[in-house]
Amino acid sequence: MDPEVPVSLVDLGLIYDVRRLKGRVEVDLSFTATACPAMNFIQEDIRERLLAEPGIKEVSTQVVWEPPWTPDRISETGKKQLEGFGISL
Amino acid sequence: MESVTEMSDEYKRELRHIVTVSGDTELLSAPAYYYAARKAPSVNAMISAMAIVQDELSHAHIAYCVLEDLGVSREWLMYEREPHEFRYPYAFDVPLDSWVELCVANAFYDQAGFCLLSDVHDNTSYGPWKRGLVKVGKEENFHLLHGRRWMKRIANSGDEGRQLVCDAVKWMFPMTVEWFGLPDDLKTHSSQLDYKMKGLTNDQLRQYWMDSIVPFCDELGLEVPVHRNADDTAWELEYELPVFFDENEKRWDLEHHITWDQVVTRWKGRGPRNEEMVEEIQRSAGDFSWMFKDL
Repeated sequence: MDPEVPVSLVDLGLIYDVRRLKGRVEVDLSFTATACPAMNFIQEDIRERLLAEPGIKEVSTQVVWEPPWTPDRISETGKKQLEGFGISL
Repeated sequence: MESVTEMSDEYKRELRHIVTVSGDTELLSAPAYYYAARKAPSVNAMISAMAIVQDELSHAHIAYCVLEDLGVSREWLMYEREPHEFRYPYAFDVPLDSWVELCVANAFYDQAGFCLLSDVHDNTSYGPWKRGLVKVGKEENFHLLHGRRWMKRIANSGDEGRQLVCDAVKWMFPMTVEWFGLPDDLKTHSSQLDYKMKGLTNDQLRQYWMDSIVPFCDELGLEVPVHRNADDTAWELEYELPVFFDENEKRWDLEHHITWDQVVTRWKGRGPRNEEMVEEIQRSAGDFSWMFKDL
């Protein structure tokens, strides 16, 4: 979840790729801005959450900036949730 | 209540007062946090801290815009008052000297702000302020989470880190307890409650803050001078308010009892950083119209 407005990272379109090989998971993610103040938090959250899953021993997060994130990557669910918080797109 | 035309003079006066305190609190938290942000241990940490400083300025802006609708000049609020005329908690006048202290401030002070503003948002009778606080609440939530995360990380990093966090908590916990003002039995008037500008009393807000932060401190194994009372209905401080604070040493003497008059004298006299911070803000005042004349 985004630490500020509680919409999931998946609904925000920030998770670009997830790969699993046995006990190791790799996540490629981006951020809504290059100076996002929550970059470390979000990566820590992902690691913590995935490590809580049975069978997952190792989590690696990779920040990518290509292709650049834009609001059209937000899912319909995400958009509705943001509107509920007063953020229109 | 949606507009100034609907309100009585007394309602307007009380509303201006409570919103000024809120706006001044947000405004002065910016330089208070900024000075400590310069000690951030990494670029990402600095980015987070600066985002928080920026948020606080925007929160002040929201409060000052509400005040403008109530007939108060923003120029006057920002640039024409003397340092001691700003109405923010004494806590911000005490310097935050390290990154650790900034993180504990986010966890404690922003939590206090969050409790105060959540109460206002839930209960206030003045529509424009209620709506303005939606964004503020979300952002303060991020600030306090930032503080908590860092406290946890530093406290669990080893003996030295744990000691740094403990030292900060030692003076900042009682400092935040007094954030909520005089105890209810000493409040002479309750207009803000009567006019429903807020919903909870000072003591209730103090309890609300402790409900939020004490379990977190317990979870981290940090000692704080409070415990549940005998019938588990409230938090009870392990010292009797009010007590003496040495502002030069940043140290409380929890056995040294003073009077509430002496506390109010300290509050009104402002603390070490007051003049410096207000001067920092007011330095930016000036006539910048020359920048725009060719546009």
